[in-house]
Amino acid sequence: MIEVSELTKRYGRTVAVDGLSFEVKPGRVTGFLGPNGAGKSTTMRVLLGLDAASSGTALIGGRRYAGLRRPLHEVGALLDANAVHGGRSAFVHLKCLARTNGIGVRRVTEVLELVGLAGAARRHVGGFSLGMRQRLGIAAALLGDPGVLMFDEPVNGLDPDGVRWIRELMRSLAADGRTVLISSHLMTEMELTADRLIVIGRGRLIADTSVRELAERFGRGIAVRTPRAADLTGVLAAAGATVGSEPSGGLSVQGLAADRIGELAAARGIPLYEVMPRAASLEEAYMRLTSGEADYRAEGAA
Amino acid sequence: MSDVIAAEWLKLRSIRSTYFTLAVPVGFVAMAVLLAIYAVNVWDGLSPADRDHFALSSLATLNAEVTGICVAVLGVLAITGEYRTGMIRTTLTAVPRRRVLLLAKAGVVGAVSLVTGLVVVFGTFFITVAIVGGRPIRGQPSGVVSELPELFARVGAVPVFALFGLGLAVLLRSTAGAIVTVFMLGYVVPILTSHLPGPWNERLGSFLLGALPGQIVGGDNENSVYGAVLPPPVALLVLAAYAALPLTAAALTLTRRDA
Repeated sequence: MIEVSELTKRYGRTVAVDGLSFEVKPGRVTGFLGPNGAGKSTTMRVLLGLDAASSGTALIGGRRYAGLRRPLHEVGALLDANAVHGGRSAFVHLKCLARTNGIGVRRVTEVLELVGLAGAARRHVGGFSLGMRQRLGIAAALLGDPGVLMFDEPVNGLDPDGVRWIRELMRSLAADGRTVLISSHLMTEMELTADRLIVIGRGRLIADTSVRELAERFGRGIAVRTPRAADLTGVLAAAGATVGSEPSGGLSVQGLAADRIGELAAARGIPLYEVMPRAASLEEAYMRLTSGEADYRAEGAA
Repeated sequence: MSDVIAAEWLKLRSIRSTYFTLAVPVGFVAMAVLLAIYAVNVWDGLSPADRDHFALSSLATLNAEVTGICVAVLGVLAITGEYRTGMIRTTLTAVPRRRVLLLAKAGVVGAVSLVTGLVVVFGTFFITVAIVGGRPIRGQPSGVVSELPELFARVGAVPVFALFGLGLAVLLRSTAGAIVTVFMLGYVVPILTSHLPGPWNERLGSFLLGALPGQIVGGDNENSVYGAVLPPPVALLVLAAYAALPLTAAALTLTRRDA
């Protein structure tokens, strides 16, 4: 369980996180979304006690991270896969971390196997690809078998196999009842991995919702095909819907559920060939949510 | 705490720069051996009159100073290596109690430096004594026991260099910045100080790190750039302060600063 409450973080005059509040519950994968510079990494750094909050709180399991004695047993995190000393081997790197929290060498071997780095365990990390470093970072996060996991952009630099591996790993970690928070700036990735979404922009909360709700909220109505379009338009408009016509000849109905459209049509004996709710793609929903919230944007791209 | 110390020990052992840094003082022991053999050969060929003008200064003292500078670099790298690679964030995620982390680093770097100092200083001393073999060369010790206090004082100053470097490096977070500062204080400042008008050259020169071991055993630091106005207990306190002040400042900064 992660609880962020009224969190604000300023760096000089820049406000990176601005009164942000949200909760991340166990047993599901929560996506933490926002454009670059939205404050995702800052929020995670404050949660991990690396940066101090300017005001507000960021708690894990009801406690501040800085107060944990053996934090790797409670929280596993991957912030920056490159934050390793290139001169150490993967095995020794993990052994150093494990030792600080009283974790044995056997667990080091285990996590290396789990992330598929067993064969590269004795190689220097300096020669690792970004994808291998991501795997090493995930191995480090899993060392203490923690109940809370946080990953900042974990699919960066991974090949398609790696991306799928991460996705399945995240889902299985959540299925174990763990709290899993993954940040990303790519909605398409979260669509496949996350159950719950926290969307932020310019340090503020934009949406705290489920993947389905978000798609529905930005739905583009229901497409209806009927041979008696004019009659149905009248009936639906009378029932309070907004009805438009589609270039393809069908109707686009907003403000009525598909069931209700079917019932109204049946009552008037109007045949329906097709009733199809059209959810917006999450990508589109996300773009609409965060438009105007991106800090850095190419001129004219919006 | 013991887990964190064990981890820091493992970290120090697992990077190459540690071995490079410690290889330098060991190399100086070998150099001292060659120098002593050469000096003895020259001495043996001199007439009794010329022998009065021949001197060989204490090689153990020279090597103590070299070791001090090298372990100062070791202390610097123990923390700037983490800042340079970003490893510090991974480390602080595993050990959020930052004062504990700093103490563990100080303990490990201090212990390694002390052992290095013992080996290099006493190694150089006894090897030189064996090579000189009782010849009354000027500048060389006449007996072993009378030299022990000064040797221990010189060994004791070695880990102070390391802790000074560590504390400074936490404050600066830069390898280059910290090492340049160490060299300035170790070499440049003593020379500048010795050129000050008297009595300030003596007074200020007494507070320099290199001036302290001699004063702790009541020596007069003759034939050096250093002064010797401090009584032994004060010199000992100043030596301790060279480690304690940078480390305290480092602890305060480290706990307050965003990683």
